[in-house]
Amino acid sequence: MTDVSQSAKEAYFTASQGQLIWARFKKQRAAMVAAWVLGLMILLGLFADFIGPYNPTIAGANKDYTNGAPQWPQFCDDNGCSARPFIYGVKRERSIETNFRWVSTIDTEDRRSLQWFVKGDEYQWFGVTLNRHLFGVADGTVHLFGTDDTGKDIFSRTLHAIKTSLAVGTLGVLISFVLALGIGGIAGYYGGVVDGVLQMITDAIRTIPAIPLFMALAAFVPDTWSAEMRFFFISIILGLIGWPTLARRVRTHLLVERNQDYVLAAELSGAGSGHIIRRHLLPSFTSYIIVDLVISFPYMVLSETALSFIGLGLKDPVTSLGVLLQNTTNADVLLNYQWYFIPVLFFVALVMAFVFVGDGLRDAADPYSEAKK
Amino acid sequence: MADFLRFVGVRAILAVVTLLIVSFIVFSLMEFVPGDCAERYLAYKNTQGQNLTLEDIDAERARLGLDQPFLYRWVTWVSGAFVGNFGDSCILRVSISQLLGSKFLISAGICFAALFVAYLVAIPVGIYAANSRNPVVNNVLRFVSYLGLALPNFLLALIIMLISTVYFGDSLSGLFSKEFRDAPWSMAKFWDFMSRAWLPIFILGWSATAFALQTVRALMLDEQSKLYVTAARARGLYGPRLLWRYPARHALGPIVNSLGFDLNRIFNELPIVAIILTLTEAGALLLEALARSNDQQLAGAIIFLLTATIVGLNFVTDIALAALDPRMRNSVMGGRG
Repeated sequence: MTDVSQSAKEAYFTASQGQLIWARFKKQRAAMVAAWVLGLMILLGLFADFIGPYNPTIAGANKDYTNGAPQWPQFCDDNGCSARPFIYGVKRERSIETNFRWVSTIDTEDRRSLQWFVKGDEYQWFGVTLNRHLFGVADGTVHLFGTDDTGKDIFSRTLHAIKTSLAVGTLGVLISFVLALGIGGIAGYYGGVVDGVLQMITDAIRTIPAIPLFMALAAFVPDTWSAEMRFFFISIILGLIGWPTLARRVRTHLLVERNQDYVLAAELSGAGSGHIIRRHLLPSFTSYIIVDLVISFPYMVLSETALSFIGLGLKDPVTSLGVLLQNTTNADVLLNYQWYFIPVLFFVALVMAFVFVGDGLRDAADPYSEAKK
Repeated sequence: MADFLRFVGVRAILAVVTLLIVSFIVFSLMEFVPGDCAERYLAYKNTQGQNLTLEDIDAERARLGLDQPFLYRWVTWVSGAFVGNFGDSCILRVSISQLLGSKFLISAGICFAALFVAYLVAIPVGIYAANSRNPVVNNVLRFVSYLGLALPNFLLALIIMLISTVYFGDSLSGLFSKEFRDAPWSMAKFWDFMSRAWLPIFILGWSATAFALQTVRALMLDEQSKLYVTAARARGLYGPRLLWRYPARHALGPIVNSLGFDLNRIFNELPIVAIILTLTEAGALLLEALARSNDQQLAGAIIFLLTATIVGLNFVTDIALAALDPRMRNSVMGGRG
């Protein structure tokens, strides 16, 4: 046996739980790609104000370019190439020739080059008012994904929608996590009658279809509530609906673990219940809980999207994917303004990234996954 | 046999208890909602130009029995609900069972059809995928199942509408053509219904299929590495005969057990898909009942009916499993087990 393999083995035996999981996670290519995508999405969401060139609410709307088509920056056209990417200026007119509809013509002679760090709409960031945006054009406007019927920039709105979805998901997951840990923990640790009664209630709640129930509750939210109130209400409800599945897993795991020898050993050494739960039982399944949280995250995001989409969830000026898609079912949008659907791609990517990372983590956290293969 | 009947009895009692808990939760939630039926109805009357006073509201409350204690009203409601009598709708003032009747049956039918289609696809494909060593097949299937989650049904419905409007000029919405909407049921109406119902069935079945596919595949993979399969192989069994006779039968149990939760998932998607495709069945009606008129009687009834369907399905699958699975059968009916 050489020294190298000896030290590799040494490293394996002395590695912490986290290091082992990370080592197994790194081996899965799909999960790693997904993790990068996820990281990128989170950054896009966190810095939405800075990366998006405009304010996503009606305050940042461009009244001269409503229902405007996406403007893709390009490097070359018939007039030659430029080192800076540019877009064309747009003229809007409406006259008797155009049947009094707004018609935009692209002026290919009018080049407007994109610039880094331009001044634009003001935004608050950690209490500081800033007005620099990652990119933009000096004169005129740039709308990468086009604009909606009031002239709001769909690119900026998409970024803010990612932020909102992540926030709603995080809050919802946290609430359901606390509930699941509490209720599942009590059921699993005490067992017996307590467990029986709690299981019965949990199972009953699990059979109620969540979305119709949620719709029933959300419909009674008064219209006078502010956007922030709605946001918290939705997150709380999502959390209240999401806990039973996780609670069941916590309970099953605890039921198995509390009969293990190491728990008996701790009890014989005189450790109290609280000490055993904190120091011995909880660490035995933290990795499972983390995995479960990651996996339940996309469900939260999807529920919020579905509800906002039908008008019962979030509303303007809060931007979420559901809010973005609210008007897309009418024929005019379907036929003429298909760029309304661009945010869908981001959301499919976001949810897919979560699912792949969750799956990769689950495999990585399972110490027997290598033995199986 | 007596043991089996006892098993059925215990399960039935459990199902009823579950429904009681559910009804209590639903009823309390509808109570917590601001405003009650009397206020709502009279507020509605007010908009019609009648001037009503606080005394009128109290009189209406007394008439509806809303002045009774909470538990008493819950018992009245639940005893009605178990025989299909949900009282009158708050605003519309017609019997809810009449209002929902056929609409609920149609939507339940569509959901069950979607569930059926999902497993019709998922079982053979899942078994094939678990057995296939071809990495392309496995990766494609994995991707498709994840897409089933990431591309939720309502987005799929939107995209199908987008494509069909752009290319065919028809948005494929509605459940009946104009000429059949109010016609009595007939063969022609049935065919018209079927020619339109396939789309909601497909869309609702979409993510259910993706989930079922993953379940079937995982179960088959688990079973196939077990020793009894190796033993069967050693005896010279191979191919589909081996799969159907040994691992597939073992995998059947958990699959049958998961049917209830799949139905739950489909019910979750139903109202949203129904709105996009403008289907006038219970799903869309639920939203109408809630968003337009805040009708808590109607809402409670619909949620109770949906949950009762799921509990009913769980009950049936439990019994079916006990009858089908020899291990369960023995422990339930006595004998060798």
